[in-house]
Amino acid sequence: MHEQSLFASVPVHQHHELLQQLAGLTAMQPRHCLERRLIFKAYRKPGLAGRTGASQDLQQGDLQRLNKMLNGNMYYTQVIGPVSELDFGSTAPVDHDTQMAGMDDSKPSGSPSPSSYDYERQPWKLEFRDIPEAGTRSAVTSRLMSSATLPRGDVVQAMNAWGYHFTTEYVVEGDMFIHNDIAIFLHRVLHYPGDESSLPRRQLPALKDMTLFEKSGSYVLQAFIIVQDGSNQETMKTASQHLFGLREQLKSAVLLEQADRLSLDTRAK
Amino acid sequence: MADSFTLPLRPILEKRDRPDTLPVEIAQINNQWGSFREVNEDVLRNKIAEEEEKDGLDEVDESDQDATDPDSTERVEQLYKRRAEITQFAMQAHMETMFALDFVSLLLSKQTPRQAETSMSAFLKQVAPLGSLNAEVVNPPPKPESTTKDIAAVSRGWRIQNFNAAANKLLQAASRLETEVASETRYWNEVLAVKDKGWKVSRLPREKQALGVQYGFLEATPVFRDRGLASLRRAEDGALSLDEGLIPTKARYVRVRVIQDGRLSGSSKPTRSTFDGDGTIEDRILQARDTVYEEELFYELVREARAIASFGVTTRQNLIRIPASDDLEILLDLVDTDENTSQPEYDISQQGTFLAEGLAHTIRILLAYSHRQNLRRRTLLPPPLTPKTRSIPEHQLIRPALAYIKHMSDVRWLQSLLKDLFGVLKSANLKPSAYTARVFSTEKQRQTSSAPTVETLVGQFLTPMLSTFNGNILTPRGSFSIAIHTNLSSPPFGTTFDVSFNMPKYPDLESPGKLSHREEVEAAITHLLLLDVVFTISSNNNSPKSEHDKDEAKRTWEAIYPQHGELLLLPSKSEKQKKMKIVLSRHELSLEIYTVRCIDGTGRGKCEHPSYNSMPHTWKPPPIAGFPNQPSLMEFVSTQVPR
Repeated sequence: MHEQSLFASVPVHQHHELLQQLAGLTAMQPRHCLERRLIFKAYRKPGLAGRTGASQDLQQGDLQRLNKMLNGNMYYTQVIGPVSELDFGSTAPVDHDTQMAGMDDSKPSGSPSPSSYDYERQPWKLEFRDIPEAGTRSAVTSRLMSSATLPRGDVVQAMNAWGYHFTTEYVVEGDMFIHNDIAIFLHRVLHYPGDESSLPRRQLPALKDMTLFEKSGSYVLQAFIIVQDGSNQETMKTASQHLFGLREQLKSAVLLEQADRLSLDTRAK
Repeated sequence: MADSFTLPLRPILEKRDRPDTLPVEIAQINNQWGSFREVNEDVLRNKIAEEEEKDGLDEVDESDQDATDPDSTERVEQLYKRRAEITQFAMQAHMETMFALDFVSLLLSKQTPRQAETSMSAFLKQVAPLGSLNAEVVNPPPKPESTTKDIAAVSRGWRIQNFNAAANKLLQAASRLETEVASETRYWNEVLAVKDKGWKVSRLPREKQALGVQYGFLEATPVFRDRGLASLRRAEDGALSLDEGLIPTKARYVRVRVIQDGRLSGSSKPTRSTFDGDGTIEDRILQARDTVYEEELFYELVREARAIASFGVTTRQNLIRIPASDDLEILLDLVDTDENTSQPEYDISQQGTFLAEGLAHTIRILLAYSHRQNLRRRTLLPPPLTPKTRSIPEHQLIRPALAYIKHMSDVRWLQSLLKDLFGVLKSANLKPSAYTARVFSTEKQRQTSSAPTVETLVGQFLTPMLSTFNGNILTPRGSFSIAIHTNLSSPPFGTTFDVSFNMPKYPDLESPGKLSHREEVEAAITHLLLLDVVFTISSNNNSPKSEHDKDEAKRTWEAIYPQHGELLLLPSKSEKQKKMKIVLSRHELSLEIYTVRCIDGTGRGKCEHPSYNSMPHTWKPPPIAGFPNQPSLMEFVSTQVPR
């Protein structure tokens, strides 16, 4: 899948107004989103690289692909978990033993009681983004992407098994709008207070204690379309044209533009 | 209007010092007509005759024109001639103007050559060099005092006239502005009133100067969504008028008619009465909204009707015909609200009207529900873009209602069947225990956190319908249960009856499982009850008799072919074998005794003979029961056992 996107920076004083403008444009109320994002870095498992033994059954093409996979670039990936405002600054849930078995299934995840955050039931999604394509003539940021749902709870072990180190984590706060095919995400990044930890937090601090990544509090507006087949020029063109249409419509409010390619580099050096 | 203004715009007319003196007037007459001396009778007569002649000529001219009614060709000619004349005059005027322009330009070219050059004709530029004409002020010779006085008077008159004209113009403009302001005020007040009622007032997207009111439904099909916007025009007097463009302003609605046994038995009424052009703007907006909603409803109904043509639904241009169940047929059409619905009233039943009204409300509620679903779908994260366009599935409008009707019809049928069968059994004095019916026993869906209660409520209506019947039979620990599923939204379509038996006596009796025809269900249940009756007879005369008489212990009815309802009395010393045949239907239970000649009595057909006194004994439910003092089945059976 390919993701085509346009970005804009929104100063904090314009935020409220833009929310209203977007609500009018998309004819929907903003959907508030809070997401935990864990960053994982791929590493090469020692001894794996270059070893292509027992390969007599493999075709030449497969062999090449395998070599490419084993020796190719390493990437950072994100693991995203939606959380709610109530999860912040809450205590861990009461002991599982005191809860009746099967209770959890009957209730929406993450909030067995209104003020507790259960890390073990946190749903996760793995999101991979390639570095944006270079030298495209189109004025949108286009990159390869893929996403997959992960099992709930602690993902670090699973990710370790797949060859990823946990690097750091942050929180994204924002509002989502949908305009036909385009998803519009107006968001900003929050950092956890205190020191970096080597593992994802099992409890979340209060939301007001989170520090802004961008000190001025400004937001990022990202408008994106996901295209199923990136090799289909027709759909890619349609998608970028839709984005340009949105850029025209929002011209008087914000200036949507292509992002700097290298700033979206996800390769691990 | 002009009087209301007190602005001193008009010039103050000075009273003339004195009216024209007589000598002046005499001098004027002298100038005009010559001296008084020359006036005599002849001259005056001539003058009068001349004037009469002139008038007469005019009259003749007019009458001529009237009389000689020129035919079309002449008129065309005349028209052309006149047009040519007009053109000629215009060209002449143009030429003269050009000459004047050239002249003035040439004159000015002395002072401002650059500007004057632009307005000079090419010919003049060739012929005369720039600045070749000059003008100088020449001292006019002194005018006599009378002339200056005349000029002063004339110019004063001109001035007054112009002042008057200007004043008139200004006052006219002022009054026009005043009416304009009044009508604008009225317009904006009405717009504000509309806005205060909660309507969404905005600029029209195509016509930036005009205001529009949004009354449509945002989640409707695009065609109807775009129609939900009408501009608010201002009439001459400032009244607000709703301009819906090309749409007919007639109020229409989807009419539901119920046809029972080929006759109209109910029809739904329009939801809102019409307005005959004098409704307020609010009423008009409401009417426009209703009409848009109704038209969308009908559009979606037709779309869905085409999709479910396999149920026998037929569509014509403006009519949907749905065979609902049994003798019930439903017609849907889009009609004007003021259409004269003078139907014969005698056929209309209250039940039919209720059904029609209920259906009318149901499809409207379901459309509103679909709108909400559309919003939900629209605000979800869109799936990845593919070259294929996703088709919008038909809304579920008819199907749930139809499923309900079908389901209710099936439930009623089953209820009546069970009632009949149990009635028959009761008339034979068998005491079947009552059965329990749970109509619409669909499990309550788990309340999902996000959906509002209303949506959950409607959502339940869209799920497949389920009713269950449970009951015990005469056989101890025996029971039956029937579950009726009706589902028109996803295959398998239609109603299925899930029939299951529990007969401890016949453990190898398999439950028929899912049946879809009523005949099959009837047969299955009748069969079960027949088995039940047979088993009861064979078991009943076991126990009491054995206690009563040891000798008779062996002489019991034995179920030999229970599936055919046949029982055999074991032979005693000299008697022939007796066979009992029981037939159970939903109308009656009949019993007949045969004598059998075969040795073991198991043979059927030829070797059976109706017994001497055998008349088939029948039991019917009370309303038809002919014999009030009939013995019960058990009594009858026991009398047949010879002692």
